[in-house]
Amino acid sequence: MEIGEGHIWFKSRRSARRICAWVMSMCLLLSATLLAGCGTKELGTQEETQSQETQQIVVGFSQLGAESDWRSANTESMKSTFTAANGYKLLIEDGQQQQANQIMAIRKFIQQDVDYIVLAPVTETGWDTVLQEAKDAQIPVIIVDRQVAVEDPELFCCWVGSDFELEAKKATAWLHQFAYTKGIDESQLHIVNIQGTIGASAQIGRTKGLQDAVAAYGWDLLAQVPGEFTQAKGKEAMEALLEQYENINVVYCENDNEALGAIEAIEEAGRHVGSDILHGDIMVMSFDGVNQNVMQYLLKDKISFVGECNPHHGPRVQNIIQLLEAGKTPEKYSYVEERVYTHDATVPSVEVDGVNYSVTVMTKETLQEFK
Amino acid sequence: MSKKSSGAENSILYRLKHMTDTNKLLTITIVIFFLMYIGAIVFQGEGFLKPQTFLSMLNANAALIITSCGMSLVMITGGIDISVGGVVALVSMCSAVYLDYHNGSILGAVLISLGIGLAFGIVQGYLVAYLEIQPFIVSLAGMFFARGMTTIVNTNPFNVQNEAFVALKDTRVIVPGLGSVNKLGRYVDAYVEIGVIVALLVVLLMFVILRWTKLGRSFYAVGGNSQSALMLGINVKRTKFLSHLICSLLAGIGGFVYFMHVGSGSASHAMGMEMNAIASSIIGGTMLTGGVGNIIGTLFGVLSLSTIQNIVSSAGLDQAWWTGITIAAMLCLFLVIQSIVMARKKKSVQA
Amino acid sequence: MENTAVKKSKGSDFLGKLLRQQLFIPVAALLILAIFNLIADPSFFKITLGYSSAGQPVLSGYLITILDYGSELAILAIGMTLVTAASGGQDISVGATIAIAGSVILRVLCGTDSRPETLQTSFLVAFLVACVVSMLFGAFNGILVAYFKIQPMVATLILYTAGRSIAAWINNNELPIISDPTFAYFGGFIPGIPIPTPFFIAMACVIVIALVLKFTNLGLYTQAVGINEKSSRLNGINPKFIKFLSFVILGLCVAVVGLIKVSRLSSINYSVIAKDIEMDAILAVALGGNALSGGKFNMAASILGAYVIQFLTTTLYKFDVQSDALPAYKAVVVILLVVLSAPSVRQKLSGLGKKLRVKEVA
Repeated sequence: MEIGEGHIWFKSRRSARRICAWVMSMCLLLSATLLAGCGTKELGTQEETQSQETQQIVVGFSQLGAESDWRSANTESMKSTFTAANGYKLLIEDGQQQQANQIMAIRKFIQQDVDYIVLAPVTETGWDTVLQEAKDAQIPVIIVDRQVAVEDPELFCCWVGSDFELEAKKATAWLHQFAYTKGIDESQLHIVNIQGTIGASAQIGRTKGLQDAVAAYGWDLLAQVPGEFTQAKGKEAMEALLEQYENINVVYCENDNEALGAIEAIEEAGRHVGSDILHGDIMVMSFDGVNQNVMQYLLKDKISFVGECNPHHGPRVQNIIQLLEAGKTPEKYSYVEERVYTHDATVPSVEVDGVNYSVTVMTKETLQEFK
Repeated sequence: MSKKSSGAENSILYRLKHMTDTNKLLTITIVIFFLMYIGAIVFQGEGFLKPQTFLSMLNANAALIITSCGMSLVMITGGIDISVGGVVALVSMCSAVYLDYHNGSILGAVLISLGIGLAFGIVQGYLVAYLEIQPFIVSLAGMFFARGMTTIVNTNPFNVQNEAFVALKDTRVIVPGLGSVNKLGRYVDAYVEIGVIVALLVVLLMFVILRWTKLGRSFYAVGGNSQSALMLGINVKRTKFLSHLICSLLAGIGGFVYFMHVGSGSASHAMGMEMNAIASSIIGGTMLTGGVGNIIGTLFGVLSLSTIQNIVSSAGLDQAWWTGITIAAMLCLFLVIQSIVMARKKKSVQA
Repeated sequence: MENTAVKKSKGSDFLGKLLRQQLFIPVAALLILAIFNLIADPSFFKITLGYSSAGQPVLSGYLITILDYGSELAILAIGMTLVTAASGGQDISVGATIAIAGSVILRVLCGTDSRPETLQTSFLVAFLVACVVSMLFGAFNGILVAYFKIQPMVATLILYTAGRSIAAWINNNELPIISDPTFAYFGGFIPGIPIPTPFFIAMACVIVIALVLKFTNLGLYTQAVGINEKSSRLNGINPKFIKFLSFVILGLCVAVVGLIKVSRLSSINYSVIAKDIEMDAILAVALGGNALSGGKFNMAASILGAYVIQFLTTTLYKFDVQSDALPAYKAVVVILLVVLSAPSVRQKLSGLGKKLRVKEVA
């Protein structure tokens, strides 16, 4: 026994020594590589500094995800604006719908000493700490699309995006006018609302606009269910709603993808989508208007109303950055201009808070414009 | 008598051979980590030379380090637990609901986290160890149960407003001497979150247990060869049970640390964390077949993983899918390496 | 007196036989669910004949939904049963590979334009390409399991994580939409036929696999490998190849389901498509009374199991259970099934049964 154990001990000591030697040689090799790496790197940056750093503006963009067509168009707009040819270097981080990922991305941008941070936040709350860090590092933060709720508004430089409540107000004003023109009693509008991701600015604004109108006009709002801005969820929600309520005649979808899903569910249930709600049609209303299919559906009267939500934020953010570069102060909140598309000209224009907005009727020519 | 002693000797020899394997795999992991970090410096520029970048990586991955330690333990014992991500999500949702809707205290939230971890550990451990059901099936059901429960507890994601908690979440431990000067000439302190300290303590504790205690050695013995472990007088069932219990308990702790980092409850939290934990363990040199593994390796596994994620996102591959693909590719690579190592070993044993 | 005792023992014999029948478990589960629904709300069984927007007759109702979505599961269950039997493990990457297959179909049909006016090729070509691709991914899993001897669930964990990412990558993360209405036939209705198409596709798959099992040795070999790998090798079977083959067959099943899934939407959503379907497929195999540790299998029981699972899902939906919360309930069912089929529990149960019988005799 004793001899055996001694033998093992010896063996293990030897192997341990061998491993030690191996580790040490590896470390040596590593440090050599490290030094070499650093050397070449420093040379590289020096060259870069001379050639590029004087003009190139580094922009870090934390996008919240890629859940809808609108989002993809939004990302694409940023990419096509902040190109090397325009004198920018764009770093994009996809947050995959997680605030934690976005916070990590912003911290990374701060570490990388970017010149500007553009943030498309996934939720409204919980940004104070990280925005304070960016402010401490004196990097201006431009918020796009959804808003942030922070205690100190100085934490971000400015915000660019859509007035979601206005979009909803236009939509409800249109529906009100439409019912009036067609001679439909307000109480005969049986509405279901397929909401977006709960807590997103678009959901809050579009839901509030509808709820206010329901209260004002006395419409019959049957149900509000979340559809998470996706086609699959929209379809699932609509299937359940059709089982539950027989008399639905207006579906208010808070984005395009949900509308596409809802239309599928309606058609699979053997119902007809269209504007003729007096004769059994189910009318679909949608927002965003970035999906080519939605526009075609609008032409075919599968969708009756689309409130545009402009995703092309890139050029506007670029304007702000240019203002800042010139030492000027941009406006704190800037809304983008958005149109209203309908299937027919039943309602020529809508009035919201005393302002008149014209309605664009979808025709083959208008569709060409979208290509 | 003589038969018994030779069995013991064999198993000690067996284990020693594995220990050398452990060291070999550990070295590979550490070398790969350093290589990747250099790669990151080359790709990403100065950002990665700042100590804070490294510390941010720790901050973001403290919860993963803790759950990976548990995962390594289960894998060393020859099992697997894929419910950890679900447990983390459930823990963070329950803590969030308790703090905000029931006006709870932080101590209560910690106890809830530990309780959830323990409950999962006891049920899964019992099913695996005493009813001898495949650990994968048990923990797959555990994962689905935890994910489903998270939605049942609360559907919508929300940020916790509880003041005491927010203060705790924002508490920073400043690391002296590692701060850096930003481009405007301001000195910024380097910091870590409380979770990192918890994680490092867990790593230390697990390392000590596995290396220097009888219990730790019994984990290796059961995973390496449960037959000879039985001969050595180790209670195999109890050891397996304990490994699952500790793993789920660590998932509970990891859940709270994760919650402290993100400060919100959501059903989509920690999506795929089980995968990252398994990948970290495997990259860190833990063998799926059991009996081989090292907690320090696991720590480096997590760091390697998060470094490669950083590289991927800064190498212009900004799309989210690249992260998933690279992690899977890395995992695949290491699995194949392990399987080759095992095959060669079998051959040498036969020879 | 004696007479009744004999009758009793005969009766218990019959009951014993019935209990030992593999089909007993899914049939019993189906009956329990059906009775439950009958009591809770008989309208569950209502089937109505309506007309779609195109004026075509369509059947609708909960039972039709079960037939429709259960068919997807049934197709998957075929492959999953073979994989389970041969390798003693399960493939958890099916949901993710369905996303890949679906993405491939759309990619081939649409080319680089995500909103094509005209399709690039015919549906058949796209489907065949998807078959090849998903069989390749099946082969990847198969190689890891059979040749590198990695546990099936861990090996398939790789694609489980990467699959949806790969699917998104194939289409550059765009969401192509196919406007051709005939594409929707595969997941919807063929004009003039009021029964959902997936049911016919599933039946076709069932017939094919039944013929294969009847006229080839696939079934026999698979069971032999699952029961004892070494002895099967001694009998001249190549266990590695059989395992590999089972994963490739599952790949084929996955491609078929992928076609149905994308046809339903005429589009794809990478993170949601076929979510958690792996759980249902495994559950179908388990509910069919097949041992999850491999060996003997009963294909018919698995397929019936698939429809029972869908029955359960639809019932839960009907009671307003959210889709995200479904896994919790199903997980409980899985655990119950697995615990009941665990060898140690079975021993205890049979011991209990014997004791009872002894008492009866006494």
